Amino acid sequence: MSKMVIGLFSGGVDRLTGAGIIVSGAAANDMDVEIFVLLMGARSFKREIAAGQGELSESPHLKDEFTAALDKHKVKKWTEFLREAKELTHVRIHICGLAGKLWGGEKIHDFVDLADDICGISEYIYAAEEADVHLFI
Amino acid sequence: MLSADELKNITSHRTVDARGTACPGPLLEAKKAIGTIQSGQIMEVYSSDEGTKRDIPKWCQKKGHDYLGVVEEPGYFKIFLKKK
Repeated sequence: MSKMVIGLFSGGVDRLTGAGIIVSGAAANDMDVEIFVLLMGARSFKREIAAGQGELSESPHLKDEFTAALDKHKVKKWTEFLREAKELTHVRIHICGLAGKLWGGEKIHDFVDLADDICGISEYIYAAEEADVHLFI
Repeated sequence: MLSADELKNITSHRTVDARGTACPGPLLEAKKAIGTIQSGQIMEVYSSDEGTKRDIPKWCQKKGHDYLGVVEEPGYFKIFLKKK
């Protein structure tokens, strides 16, 4: 089974949606996926932030248009893409410990239930070394 | 690959209606549904998402299923495949 590793730095709903779509594609192809949630991504994985609508990473003035387009085309929320992918294939989501702390998240239950554990940066580096596909979003 | 006439007369064992959903929805629905049919059986996927016309043949190639072809209908298309 080929492996995808994603360093998910971005916290904007646009890039998270893109990440969700990519992970869905990986799931459809039975890839093993590990996501390491870094810096701004960690903020978006906080429970109370993940529940909200989020902001765009790029072109914030396009937020209403982006949101309307997602609704029009029935595109799932990024959390739902990841949740569905977890049901279809082996997807592990790790929150970088430092990133979590920056946003006040110390324990795994501070984050949305999609997150599996909190890890250090070495684990990301080792996983990226062994991945068939390594993406940084 | 089969001709349009052959596809129109084919008997499918499972139909996945993913019309109205955007990529990667139809592909994910196909992946979920393929497990419900037996090897050698035929599945139809209805989609209105253009990207799916390329996604599913590629997926078939990767997973070893036979991509049988596509039939265009007003506003959507039907993709046919046979499970390996």
